Amino acid sequence: MISPASRDDLLALADSILERVGRDGAEVTVVHHEEALTRFARNQIHQNVAESSRRVRLRLMGDEQVGVAEIRGEVDDLQGRLIAAAEAARELAPGGDVTPLPRPDAGSDGPVAHSPATAACTPEWRAGQVGTVAAVSAVAGFEAFGALQTSLTQTAIANSQGVRRHATTTAASLICVARGENGWGYADRNHHDIRRLDPEQVAQEAVETCGRNQQATALDPGVYPVVLSPYAVADLVGHLADLGFSALAHQEHRSFMRPGERLMSGLVSIADDASHPDAMPFPFDDEGVSTRGVSCIEEGVCRSFVHDSATALREDIPSTGHALPMPNTFGPWARHLVVAGGESSLDDLIAACDHGLYVTRLWYVRDVNPLRTVITGMTRDGTFLIENGRLGRPVRDLRFTQSIVDALSDVRGVGRERSIEFDEGERALLVPALGLGRFAFTS
Amino acid sequence: MREQIPRPQPCAVSNEAAMREIADLAIDVAVSSGATYADCRVVQRGIQAMTVKGGRFAEVSSLEDEGMGIRAIVDGAWGFAGVDRLDPDSLRQAARLACRVARASARLRRQPVRLAPAPVVTGEYVTPMERDPFEVSLEEKMDLLIRTDEAMAAVAGVTTHEATLEFVREHRLFANSEGSLVDQIIVESGGGMDATATSDDDVQTRSFPNSFGRHQLCAGYEAIAAMDLAGNASRIATEAVALLSAPPCPTGRMTLILDGTQAALQVHESCGHPTELDRVRGDEAAYAGTSFLTPDLLGRFRYGSEQVTVTADATTPGGLGTYGWDDEGVAAQRTVLIDRGLFRGYMSSRETAADYGWTSTGAMRAESWNRIPLIRMTNVNLEPGDSSLEEMIAGTEHGVYLETNRSWSIDDRRLNFQFGTQNGWEIRDGKRLRLVKNALYAGRTPEFWRSCDAVAGPSEWRPWGVVNCGKGQPGQVIHVGHGAAPCRFRNVSVTAAS
Repeated sequence: MISPASRDDLLALADSILERVGRDGAEVTVVHHEEALTRFARNQIHQNVAESSRRVRLRLMGDEQVGVAEIRGEVDDLQGRLIAAAEAARELAPGGDVTPLPRPDAGSDGPVAHSPATAACTPEWRAGQVGTVAAVSAVAGFEAFGALQTSLTQTAIANSQGVRRHATTTAASLICVARGENGWGYADRNHHDIRRLDPEQVAQEAVETCGRNQQATALDPGVYPVVLSPYAVADLVGHLADLGFSALAHQEHRSFMRPGERLMSGLVSIADDASHPDAMPFPFDDEGVSTRGVSCIEEGVCRSFVHDSATALREDIPSTGHALPMPNTFGPWARHLVVAGGESSLDDLIAACDHGLYVTRLWYVRDVNPLRTVITGMTRDGTFLIENGRLGRPVRDLRFTQSIVDALSDVRGVGRERSIEFDEGERALLVPALGLGRFAFTS
Repeated sequence: MREQIPRPQPCAVSNEAAMREIADLAIDVAVSSGATYADCRVVQRGIQAMTVKGGRFAEVSSLEDEGMGIRAIVDGAWGFAGVDRLDPDSLRQAARLACRVARASARLRRQPVRLAPAPVVTGEYVTPMERDPFEVSLEEKMDLLIRTDEAMAAVAGVTTHEATLEFVREHRLFANSEGSLVDQIIVESGGGMDATATSDDDVQTRSFPNSFGRHQLCAGYEAIAAMDLAGNASRIATEAVALLSAPPCPTGRMTLILDGTQAALQVHESCGHPTELDRVRGDEAAYAGTSFLTPDLLGRFRYGSEQVTVTADATTPGGLGTYGWDDEGVAAQRTVLIDRGLFRGYMSSRETAADYGWTSTGAMRAESWNRIPLIRMTNVNLEPGDSSLEEMIAGTEHGVYLETNRSWSIDDRRLNFQFGTQNGWEIRDGKRLRLVKNALYAGRTPEFWRSCDAVAGPSEWRPWGVVNCGKGQPGQVIHVGHGAAPCRFRNVSVTAAS
C-alpha cells in the first residue's frame, strides 16, 4: 500500500467539486483503491502485484439532461476538467427521464466490513501465507495454484441535495487449487479480515479433495440428485439473482420472479442483507442511499425486488439502496446475498443421498433461457459419485443444463454451515451446501 | 455547431517526452534498487460512451485515466506496482515497491525467471483511421443513436431497445531496461444495438452487428458509418418480435452453418484460449484454466479439417487486437496456430517462450497501466476459405444456419463446449425453410473443427471485435479481434433450450 487517503480528504475533495459546480443537480463520487495480489502456480509465486488508484466521478443534471465524467489519476486541474467534461456532456445529451438525486436519509455510515490487519498486509506477509499453502501441498505430493488478494477501498459520495457518505472497506481472499498426477481439488476462503483466512486449512481442504479426485472415470449424462458444495451454490444463487431480483428486470418483463407465488422449496430463503456481519456489510449504494435488507425469496415464495432511485420512482416507492453508478441501463443489483442455512451437516446431506453426485465447483456458467432461469456450465476440481450415502469414486467433469428455479423446487436438505463467497470481487454471498433432488447433466 | 465534448488529452503528462521521463525515472530507480530487468508502461486513456434506450433515457459520459505500471525482476522473481500519481516521489515509491514485491516473490521461487531474447526496439505506431472519432461532433453521434432507437421503437411488439456508441483513445509508452522505447496511440470505435420482445412466457433479443452490446474495431468513425446501424434497426427489431412466435430449433445431429460473428466466438473460445502458452504452463490453472494442447502435440495433432487455418495476427487491418508492439515491446506479428487442420503454434510471452527455447510471438497485453501484461489473444483469425454462405446452404440437405451469440460456455481445458444463438434458420433441401429460436449446439473442440467442410471466402470475411475477454487475477478485460466468415460443420449435436 502506498499512501491511503483519509476520510476527510475524500469528502473535502467531493465538497470542493460541488462548491465549484455551484448549483443543484450535482453528485460527486470519490473512490480510493489499494489492491495487492500474490499469485502462485506449481508451489511458486509467479505473479505478484500492487496497485494504488483514485477515481473521481461527477454526475451533472439539469433541464432533463444528464452528463457524466470520470477521471482516474492525479491530473492537473482535475476539478476544472471534470466539470467541463460533465457539463459539456449534459448540455449535448438529449432530454429524457432524469431521476432526481436522492436526499439524505437517516442511515449511518455503518456497519462496514473493515479490518486494520487486512489494510496493513505486506508483500512479505502474503508470501509467508502462500508459503504455508505450498508447503502443505508439497507434503501431500501435489502442486498448489491460486491467489491471495487483499484490498482496501475508500468510498465518498456527496451530492447537492446534502447527501454525504463515506465508508472504508477491506477484503481478503485466498483461492487454492491442488494438482495431482491425475486430478485437481479446490478450496477458497473470503473475509474482510485476512486473519480469518487460515492458509493451512484452505490447503488441507484442496489437498484432500485432490487426493480423492484422482483417476476420475466417465459417468453417463443424465438427471441425478446432487449435493452442491457452498462454492457451487454461490454460482447458482448469483445467477438466480442476476436473472430476476432486479426491479428493472421485473419492469422490463425479463424476471422469472412472480411476487406472491411459490416457485421453490419452502427450504429456500434468499435475502439481500448489506448489514449482515458475514456478508461484507456496506451501508450505502452508489447514489449514497442507505441499503435496506430485501427478502427476495421467503420459504420458496417470491417476495420483493431490489431498487435504485429510477426503478423506485416508477413504482412511487423508496429506493432500497441497490444502485450502481447512475444513470445506467443495467438497473439495481443485489450485492450482499444471504441464503438461509438449514440443519444438516455436509455429511448429513451426503448420507441422505442414495445415488447421486457431489459437486465441488461450477465453471463457466452462462444463461441459456433467462426467463426460465436455465443455465449451462461445467463441474470442476472434484465431482464425485455418491453411493449409498457415501462419497464414492471421482467422475470426469460434466456439463449441466438446468433451470435454477426447477432445481431449487426440489431441495432435500440445507447445510448448517455457511461460507462467504466472492463473485468476481464485486459481490458477497453467504451460502450453505444444498442437497437437490434432480440436476440435469447433459454431456 | 454546438460545443464538442473535450477530446481526451494527456493530463499531468503533456507529451511523449514527459512520458519518457516518467518511464526513465521509474526504470532507473528499479535498477538501482536491485532489478536485473525492469519495464514500464505509461498509459493515458480516454473513453467516450453514449447510450440511448427506449427514447427516454440517454447517457453521455467521458472517462479519462492515466497512470504508470512498473514490472521488475529482482532475485529472479517478478514484482509489479501500478500508481496513478505521476510526480517523482510517487514514481520512486512505486518502483521501490515493485522491487520489494519481487523480493517477497523470490522467497517462494525455485527457478529464476528467464526471458527469451527480444530485439531492442524504438518507434511509434498510430491506429490508421480515416476519421478521428473524437473529432466527430456529439450531435452527429447522438443523431445516429436516436434514429437507430426510433427505428426499433417503430416496430410493434418490441418492449425494450437501446443503441450504444463507444470510442477509446489510448496513448501508451513502453520502455524497458534493455533500451527499448515504443510509443503508440490506439484508437477504437464501437457501436451496436439490442432489441428485445417479450410475451408472458418468452423473452427474445436480437443484437446487431454483434452481441455483448457492440461491435468494435481499431479504426476511426468510418467503422461506425460502415455498420449502418439505423439502416438495420427495423430489421433487427422485426426479427426479435418474430422470434416470439418462431418454433424451437430442431433437435438431433445435423449440419450446422455459423454466421461470421458466431464463428468468431467459436474461434475465440476453442482455438484462441487453448493456444495461450501461459495456460499450458499452468499459470492460469486456478482461474481461467489450462489447455488440452500440450507442447508434445505441436506439429502432429489433427486439430481440424484441411479447411481450418487459424492465425494470431496483430497486424490485421482494423482488428481489435492490432497494434505496433505488445506490452513487452515485441513487434506485432502473424503466428500460424493451426495450419490446414494441423496444430502448429502458440501465442507466447518472453517468459513462456524461454521455457521452450522459442522467441515471443508478441502477445503480451495489459488492460491498462494498473495491470501486468498477460498472454492475450491479438486477432485470432479463421482464415478465409473458398466457399460462400449461399453455396453452403445450397449444399445442405438438413441443418440450421445460426446467427449472433446468445450463450457460451466451455470447460477449463477448452474441450467441452455449448453455444446458443439468438437467431436460427432451419435448412431443408438446400433452402432456408423457416426462422427458429433458442438454438443450442454442443461438441468437443477437435471433433468439431474436424467436421468443418467449408469456410466462406474473402468477400464474406470480416474482422469482428470481442470486447469482454476476461482473464487473470486481478481480473483483466481485453479487447480482441477475430477475422471470420460463415463456415459449415457436419454431424453436429443441435438442440433447443427448453
